[in-house]
Amino acid sequence: MNQAIEAENLTKVYGGSRTGTLAVDHISFEVRCGEVFGFLGPNGAGKTTTQRMLTSLLEPTSGRILVYGHDLARDAYPVKRQMGLVPEESNIYTELTAWDNLMFVAQLYRLPRAERARRVSEMLEVFGLAEQKNVKAQAFSKGMRRRLSIAMAIIHRPNLLFLDEPTPGLDAQSTRAIRDLVRQLSAQGTTIFLTTHQIEEANQLCDRVAIINHGQIVAIDTPEQLKAAFSRVQSVEVALQPASGSELAGGGGSQLSALAGVKKAVKMGDKWRLYTNDPATLLPLVISYAQNQGLRVVSLCTLGPSLEDVFLEITGQQMSTVPRRTQEDRSQAARRR
Amino acid sequence: MKHNKWLQRMQDEFAQAWVVATKDVRVYYLAPPMIMFGLLLPFFLFASFSIKREIGVEIGMARLLALTTFFTASSAGPVIIPMERRTGTYDRLLVAPMSEVTLLLGKTIVGAFFAVAVSLVPLVLGLLFLRTTVADSAWLAIGIVLASLVFSAFGLVFGSIPTSSATAVGSIMMPSTLVRWPLLFISGVFVPLAEMVPLMRIAAYLSPLTYAQDLINYAVLGVGYLNCWLDLLALWVFLVAFLLSVSCMHRRIRQLGY
Repeated sequence: MNQAIEAENLTKVYGGSRTGTLAVDHISFEVRCGEVFGFLGPNGAGKTTTQRMLTSLLEPTSGRILVYGHDLARDAYPVKRQMGLVPEESNIYTELTAWDNLMFVAQLYRLPRAERARRVSEMLEVFGLAEQKNVKAQAFSKGMRRRLSIAMAIIHRPNLLFLDEPTPGLDAQSTRAIRDLVRQLSAQGTTIFLTTHQIEEANQLCDRVAIINHGQIVAIDTPEQLKAAFSRVQSVEVALQPASGSELAGGGGSQLSALAGVKKAVKMGDKWRLYTNDPATLLPLVISYAQNQGLRVVSLCTLGPSLEDVFLEITGQQMSTVPRRTQEDRSQAARRR
Repeated sequence: MKHNKWLQRMQDEFAQAWVVATKDVRVYYLAPPMIMFGLLLPFFLFASFSIKREIGVEIGMARLLALTTFFTASSAGPVIIPMERRTGTYDRLLVAPMSEVTLLLGKTIVGAFFAVAVSLVPLVLGLLFLRTTVADSAWLAIGIVLASLVFSAFGLVFGSIPTSSATAVGSIMMPSTLVRWPLLFISGVFVPLAEMVPLMRIAAYLSPLTYAQDLINYAVLGVGYLNCWLDLLALWVFLVAFLLSVSCMHRRIRQLGY
């Protein structure tokens, strides 16, 4: 068995098949055993709907899902034994202690009586909750709740784990701990279906990613292959420092975006990223611009496309870009002055 | 071999239903709507319809037991399911390796457990301090347990209504209250079946509370309007009908995505 998940022509229409909203539109994909599969998409693209169908929480309008060869619609029981789900919101029982939450799931998954306490203790240790094992979960921080939620999803050692947006809103320590855990589970052979809109997370963790937009899968490949396919999305990243006493007018964005060959300029912290098809031609123009303006070049480098660039290119999502000002814009601004 | 697998599965499913039920009892016994609608309301209702009405102790006890089982058991479903849907814990149960019937059975046991526990309080107090007599304690036990299961499943029907606002306890309480309250007045609790006009009696036969009250009357007073076996059969039919309805509603929820 090479495929953990096979989705064929999966479709979901909310509110009636004729007049309803098409959330997922005839998507087909496979997730291989043991891989970390990232499912990327902007909000409302159909990520969670797809994941809910794959976990039997939502009935597809049409299409077929096979998990480890079992048809989910007809034979969900053996599949559910091998599956773990960590939803976006930590679904723990806040009225119960960490120990009781884990013990409840251990009993629900029918772990052998002799093994339950040992497995619960192990999870508490792994997730750094051992000291709070007798504390009711309502007193837990968001990160602790998240860790408990994940522990509850893997206590029965599932072969297939669904993770829905596992890290947003968490501190850096919890985020790193969860990402390390994903790597560790993957190394142990667990197949992971990671739904996320955090592109860097997918870049770091996933063997393959699928990008879904408007209910359709628009790209599916390894992160590096996707980046290679979008080599036209190149950029020059520059950090400029004004000479003492002077200021970089308008942050410099409008002037930089007006340089020849710049498709768009995006401010990233104290740097500017200038998207272009031809970095080699742009580099001297940037240096010349800095000299003319009396600016010091703090750093300057050329970059290939990031997974985020690929994502934005495919989905057409905009970040805080500085559009190139048109002639008309400039005239209007001059008249206002 | 196949037989053994089937037996193991059945054993697992019953154990899982019990695990779900015991967890719910621990988590929800102090939920405010449970205390309000499940514990306090039956006593207030009983008091308002009984004080200064010169009814016998046994009749009063039979009414109170029927009211308690009805309100307490049917309060759990409309509270627990919307709360669990809102917090996402219901999804945890749905993805667990157990059938939907097992999950529903577990949820039904919770409401029944609360109802039986609450019913025991007035019963024990009545037996100890008011010298209430019970004509047939075995039938009383059967009546209270079965009625509690039926009313608990009845409560699940409201908790499972497939609407987009199904995660708000308040919005589920409204239809639940709208249906449960009128049943009080057509089910032989305050107006005995024998004294009802024929049209009202026909309506009474459509209510599960009618059969529960009649069976409890038979157990406490020694007389019921209907045959006690008919009451028993009717309660079983209602239990199955409610559970089937809930199962259909859950299927609809999975289709609609609520």
